Amino acid sequence: MFLELSQIKRAFGEGESRVEVLKGIDLQIEKGEFCVLLGPSGSGKSTLLNIIGGIDTADSGYISINGEKTADMNEKALTKYRRKHLGYIFQMYNLIPNLNIKENVEVGAYLSDQPLEVDELLKTLGLYEHRHKLPNQLSGGQQQRTAIGRALVKNPDILLCDEPTGALDYKTSKEILALIDDVHKKYGTTVVMVTHNDAIKNMADRVVSLRDGMIRKNYLNETKLTVDELEW
Amino acid sequence: MRDPLNKRLGRQLREELGKYVIIFLFFVMMIGAVSGFIISDTGMINAYNESFEKYNIEDGNLEFMLGPDKDTIEDIENDGGIKLYENFYKDEETDSFDSTLRIYGERDEIDRLCLWEGEFPSADDDIALDRLYAQNHDLKVGSSFEVSGRTLNVCGIVAFSDYSALYEKPSDLMFDNDMFGVGAVTDAGFDAFNDDHLHYNYSWLYDKSPADDVQAQEMSEELMKTAAEKAMLQNFIPAYSNQAIQFAGRDLHNDRTSMLVFLYITMVILAFIFVVTTESTIAKEAAVIGTLRASGYTRGEIVRHYMKLPMYTLTAGAIVGNIVGYTFMEKYMAAAYLGSYSLTTYSVSFSADAFVLTTLIPFVIMFVINLAALTRKLTLSPLKFLRRDLTRGQKKKAFRLNTKIGIMTRFRLRIFFQNLSGYIVIIFGIILGYSILFFGLMFGPMLDNFKEETVNNMIADSIYVLRMPAETEEKSAEKAAMTSLETTFGKYKAEDVSVYGISENSRYVKIDHSGGVTVSTAFMNKYGLKKGDSITLTEKYGDKDYEFEITGFYDYPSTIAVFMDIDDFRETFDMDEGYFNIYFADEKIEDIDEKLIMSRITEDDLTKTSRQMTRSMSGIMTVFKWFGVVMFVMVIYLLAKLIIDKNAQSISMTKILGYSNREINGLYVHTTTIVALLSMLVTLPLVDFLIGAVFKMVFMSYSGYFAYETDLTVMVKCFVTGVVSYSLVAFVLNRGVKKIPLAEALKNAE
Repeated sequence: MFLELSQIKRAFGEGESRVEVLKGIDLQIEKGEFCVLLGPSGSGKSTLLNIIGGIDTADSGYISINGEKTADMNEKALTKYRRKHLGYIFQMYNLIPNLNIKENVEVGAYLSDQPLEVDELLKTLGLYEHRHKLPNQLSGGQQQRTAIGRALVKNPDILLCDEPTGALDYKTSKEILALIDDVHKKYGTTVVMVTHNDAIKNMADRVVSLRDGMIRKNYLNETKLTVDELEW
Repeated sequence: MRDPLNKRLGRQLREELGKYVIIFLFFVMMIGAVSGFIISDTGMINAYNESFEKYNIEDGNLEFMLGPDKDTIEDIENDGGIKLYENFYKDEETDSFDSTLRIYGERDEIDRLCLWEGEFPSADDDIALDRLYAQNHDLKVGSSFEVSGRTLNVCGIVAFSDYSALYEKPSDLMFDNDMFGVGAVTDAGFDAFNDDHLHYNYSWLYDKSPADDVQAQEMSEELMKTAAEKAMLQNFIPAYSNQAIQFAGRDLHNDRTSMLVFLYITMVILAFIFVVTTESTIAKEAAVIGTLRASGYTRGEIVRHYMKLPMYTLTAGAIVGNIVGYTFMEKYMAAAYLGSYSLTTYSVSFSADAFVLTTLIPFVIMFVINLAALTRKLTLSPLKFLRRDLTRGQKKKAFRLNTKIGIMTRFRLRIFFQNLSGYIVIIFGIILGYSILFFGLMFGPMLDNFKEETVNNMIADSIYVLRMPAETEEKSAEKAAMTSLETTFGKYKAEDVSVYGISENSRYVKIDHSGGVTVSTAFMNKYGLKKGDSITLTEKYGDKDYEFEITGFYDYPSTIAVFMDIDDFRETFDMDEGYFNIYFADEKIEDIDEKLIMSRITEDDLTKTSRQMTRSMSGIMTVFKWFGVVMFVMVIYLLAKLIIDKNAQSISMTKILGYSNREINGLYVHTTTIVALLSMLVTLPLVDFLIGAVFKMVFMSYSGYFAYETDLTVMVKCFVTGVVSYSLVAFVLNRGVKKIPLAEALKNAE
């Protein structure tokens, strides 16, 4: 198994205000799989994604990637883990505001021994002509493409996407989803995407539905749709 | 209803406690030091100013070559419109330790004494000593010591009102309260010393006091002519130009000005630190501000809110600073002056001046700068705040950087340009910190160097100045002639020039004897003289001018002197053939009657400047060193931390991307490191130049010459201290970067 989560538990707060956000998550994802984590607000999906990404730590349980358990890793090893295996895309893009578009992508490329060709990638993302602009000179969709470029350029094993279309309009959202899907297909990248948009599950290989910190459904999608076919 | 925004202040303070504590402490330190200084300085200046009337300080003093008769005195008094008071003294060598003690008789009418401790002399072997001189030789009330073979008992510790700075001679560059002191004995005790070293000194008071220094100068010039017509003058010095009377007062006043300038420069830098930090807070809280403005909060209310913490910090710092100033610092600062000057007793009281200068004015500076910056920033529309777009006019465009430069270097360059305003304040902070540090570090080596140069370039081990020509069998003795003239450079105060006549085959002074004069390097450097220049010198107690052409320079680094052939000297000053009045000698001359020797100039006389300065300034220099370091650390830390705080989200994001702490420090801390180190390197010569210029300006008003020289070790020490101070800051910053959580990037604040 490529990515394995076992009995992941996570709670916030102390005493009476303690809230259990994840109540023992077991999940396995195959290499090259496109997995969508679905659920309403407060279901724990973003927390789960952050734990997979090594941004947050589980109170108990473990995550293993290619047989390596993240719980056994110190800070240095965790950094290496993120550097080597992960690409991250956020709802609010999180670009570095004082770097131009190309430089934001290059920041990602710097981390990889075998990065993708930056200019080529920018062309693929439709950003080449905007490469000298600052993030605040671009639209939300263009900024999200930049964030995708930054995540992809280092050719990660897993692409973690936290509501990547949450701040975008319908048309731009579909463009972004198509882009992620293309990458997934072209490079065989494992994708874990958190969304509350039910329609997006239709493009996934695996659908995991969370509610109240527990997995309610976990199934392989037999009737995959293309991004064009998605409607919401 | 109370402003609900006030509830945020406590939280904001807790969040940035480190910053506010540092700024608070700095205020306390600055205001404490400056108010302590001003309070003690004001007390001393008042006491000094009042002392002229209280102790009846003279309008000047003159010394006759020979004791004048009663008629001569009356003539001078009548013709000069003055009253002369006998104020004879005897310069005696102390046997118990190495020094010259100037002994006066009772002073009941003029230049009265201020008693610090004990009582005035009543027995013949009682002596009241100057406080500092006594202190330097461990003499207390009840102590005894030997002077010219007599044992004297210290009955009192006093301040001589006409010796607030212990200048032995008017031409001395600096006073020396270790090698020279003053004491008062009873008239009978005075007569008990033999008259070998008696000086016929009289102090005068004008019948009608001059209105100002200009009138005092005119009156004294008239008086000098009158007195010189009636008797041979050995010395003539009006009070307005008597360093022993004036120096301490001027120094108290000048230091006050320097201290205030220093305080205000620091306040402006602090205000800019506040502006930069507040602007960063505004950027961080743009959405909140936008929401508040959209909800109906006025710009004024928001400005007031963001001004509160800086102003509260200043208020707290000012209150504590004033308390520290009035209690601890006042004594510390006073001790620095009392350790240098022989001041009369003074008292400390609340000073409205000090409050205005040290508290009110910094408060206004901070208020105005903060208000202006915040008001300008908050003129943006609520919508712009909501969109987190704090740019004015068009959106900021990215300038291009050559893509051949590696991404990490470009990243650093972007960080540099993003934080340019902060870095500029850092550079100014470094210049200020450096100046203080440099000043603290350079003095010791400079004084040592001055001493070494002076000793290495002495003409002879001793110069004997004779009252009249006398022969000696001493082999090392060489005859020469000397007189004193004054400079006539219009824009500078006139000062004494020693003019020497040198024998052609002199073993001590090698000069060109083919006409013209050779001037000392001190003279050359101080007034920028060149070969071929012509200088006009004038008689001290007359109005005859002498013009000389400079034909060369003689390495004599501490004395303003002119050397010429002895025959030319005799001709120029109308002296007989064979005239001489000094001996240069490497060995002691034993066979000339002491009465015929007016003075003996030795290494001690030439190096008194460096000794006194070392004594007066070593304590305060330590304060300067530490203050410089604190300034360095504070400015760099506050602004560099701000850069980290401002980029917390980007730092967090780079962590998520997989950058290690080391790499992130390489971006965000090393940029500051590069700026700090480069600034330290580049501004060092600038600081050297600035201090040199100030130094030269200050010392132009002093007699004699003191070369401003800094050796490489001072530069290196300054740089190393800077680097070590910065390393401390960098260490804390590195830890700060490490502490930024990965979750910071998840905050919805793009």
